[in-house]
Amino acid sequence: MMDGAVAPLLAGVTVVEISRGVAAGYAGRLLSTLGAETVLVEPPDGNPLRREPPFLPPAGEASALFAFLAAGKKSVICDSGTPGGRAGLSALLAAADVLVHDLRADERASLEVDERTLRACHPNLIDVSVLPFGAVGPKADWQAEEINLIHASGEGFLLPNGLAAELFPDRPPLKVYGHFAEYQGGVVAALGALCALIGREHGGGESVDVSVQDAALAVGAFALQRFGDGSLEHRRTRSFKYGGVLECADGHVELLTLEERQWRGLVELMGRPDWMLDPALSDSLERSRRGVEINRAVRAWALGERTADVVARAQALGVPMAKYASPAEVLSGAHERARELFQPVEIAGAGSLPVLSAPFHVDGAALRLRAGPPRLGEHQHLLTAGHQRDHLRVAAEAS
Amino acid sequence: MKPLAGVRIADFTLHAAGPFCTHILSQLGAECIKVESAARPDIFRKPHPVYGRMGPASFDQVAANKLSVRINLKDARGSALARKLVGASDLVCESFRPGVMERLGLGYAALAALKPSVVMVSVSSSGQRGPDSHFAGYAPLFGAWGALGYLTGYEDGPPVEMRHVMDHSVGMNAAMVAVAAVYRLRRTGRGGHVDVSAREVACSLVGEALLFAAAGGSPVRIGNDHPRMAPHGVFRTRDEDRWLTIAVRTDDEWRALVRLMDTPHLLTDPRFQSAASRHEYRRALYGEIEHWTMTCEAGAAERLLQAAGIAAHVSCNMEDIAHDRHLRERGTIVEVEDMTGHKRAALKAPIRFSKSDVGMTRGTPRLGENEDYVFGELLGLSREERQSLMDQQVIY
Repeated sequence: MMDGAVAPLLAGVTVVEISRGVAAGYAGRLLSTLGAETVLVEPPDGNPLRREPPFLPPAGEASALFAFLAAGKKSVICDSGTPGGRAGLSALLAAADVLVHDLRADERASLEVDERTLRACHPNLIDVSVLPFGAVGPKADWQAEEINLIHASGEGFLLPNGLAAELFPDRPPLKVYGHFAEYQGGVVAALGALCALIGREHGGGESVDVSVQDAALAVGAFALQRFGDGSLEHRRTRSFKYGGVLECADGHVELLTLEERQWRGLVELMGRPDWMLDPALSDSLERSRRGVEINRAVRAWALGERTADVVARAQALGVPMAKYASPAEVLSGAHERARELFQPVEIAGAGSLPVLSAPFHVDGAALRLRAGPPRLGEHQHLLTAGHQRDHLRVAAEAS
Repeated sequence: MKPLAGVRIADFTLHAAGPFCTHILSQLGAECIKVESAARPDIFRKPHPVYGRMGPASFDQVAANKLSVRINLKDARGSALARKLVGASDLVCESFRPGVMERLGLGYAALAALKPSVVMVSVSSSGQRGPDSHFAGYAPLFGAWGALGYLTGYEDGPPVEMRHVMDHSVGMNAAMVAVAAVYRLRRTGRGGHVDVSAREVACSLVGEALLFAAAGGSPVRIGNDHPRMAPHGVFRTRDEDRWLTIAVRTDDEWRALVRLMDTPHLLTDPRFQSAASRHEYRRALYGEIEHWTMTCEAGAAERLLQAAGIAAHVSCNMEDIAHDRHLRERGTIVEVEDMTGHKRAALKAPIRFSKSDVGMTRGTPRLGENEDYVFGELLGLSREERQSLMDQQVIY
């Protein structure tokens, strides 16, 4: 990896991951994709996410979620119920910079990864705990899945907004698809690990406590600010006054005009209809007041448009508009292909498939996925003494 | 001590995503110097009527804890002053449309020539390169481009627009990779350019669905359903607009729930005998659960369910969250004083370290509030030089 190319950001960093959930798994995945060696420690029956649907067609053997989260990682089996398993884990930790885990407080001591033992045995190790409600506080031992967490963080209560809220005002609030809150927990846990790695230079190893609820709340911070301003946000009242989700002839687009020139572009895009030329509408406050009326006309117009054509014309006029792209459209998108967002890796039981690398480029290029998800215990040799020495040597050279 | 103490950021970001990144980094210890001008202030200092509000919407949330200076970047002398600021900084963050920093003489190549160790973080809607890199966008567009918006929604309804959480997700990703770049800088002395694409952040939040689609699957909108768990959803309680979320993962949890609801007949109902069957008949099951939750106070039911080991939580509004004891005890929510002296709840950066500190030490800066320190002390400009630049509307 060093031959002429620039070293990845985290070259030489070793991460050990003990996870059962998405948040810790995503933290390990981000660090791995940034160049760290991430070793996933699994129980003898494998990480539970290996058994989480949906499974990749046609064989239906490999979990899509596990394959996405574990791509590029290594796998070792450590049976925490045996002295050998615990010794193996300890050997891995001795050569590691970071431990990312989602173990509850009561599980840590038996694995000898509680804070006191870690500081005593591995004083330079950063340990990052990422739990639904964190490791400290009255809810530290509460149970939660994604749907609970997105509502514990406030965003669930605020969805849907816009068109869906108008169409179905009496339905229950709606979660974001998939694992939104848990992914936020993963990003924050990776951020915490990296800050502690930098802080280690003057303070040695330390423990980092990340809560998925905190992380999801952090990205919803704006609603808390609004509350401080005296306004309690609600899904039925936070829609844009005009624009938003528009149904076209062949799908949906999103339209949002915040600036004056963008409104003028929209007038052009819609062919300068008479009603839009009303001088009163050149005032943004007046437009806000007459949002319902504007939206009625914009929606009627959009129904006659085709998504690809109208988005291209809108962007050329500087009007912020995007198509609600399906997964298949994203996968085949020319822009995504040019940026190598998806890279083919081998997935046992499913073959070679394109997997999302990372949502950023570094040093002018997409980050490389080094491999697909590991088979259970595929890298058991990492537990052998000889490899430990290699490991230490590599780490020393990289620093 | 904060982990990023000693890291200085020249912050050219605007709006929400980029400023949230540098706001978080500042809470982690970086010194963040926000660059604006009276001619082109951050538009989020201004009201946006499309939100139906007359005041600045989100500025405080992302500008707090930063220092503020005025530089008119459209003037060549302003550009030179900005380069001087970069020379005194470790990290440059910006969120203009791709190409703007180059036109201002502040592109990565120019800055790296000036200071090879500079780390630059660019945040944009579609990334610095690629056929759509010139596209304009805001949070709901990122979600739309990235399939997150398409996949979110009721199964018989339209896509749903992502709001500020989308911007801030981009900012959090940017902060994370920025720190990774600072880590390499500290270890090797090497700078670099990080290019964060907001629409790709939206994609990354549905990475598993994109992989499922790549294999030939057809991920679709599924509302509050889960591919495996049932019951799994958001349930009405006895109080208007007060909702309870419940997710049942195992047979043991299912039996515990039935005991709590005191509905033993559900245990013998053939539709609910196995996890797979409960999932198949989840609509009918939903009605059974809601029959019970409609008699409950949401908070009391939440505590009962948790005591039985079942994942449950009230659907919180921001008033609940502002007063939440758990979040207060963790220090996630802190009390701050705003510019008018009023106390209000604010969020600390969401990481607790056993040794390092984190948090805000100052509020939102007035435009140009910290020029004595930045232009005077850091860059060594004399009073006369600064006055002359102000007279020429370079510091403006």
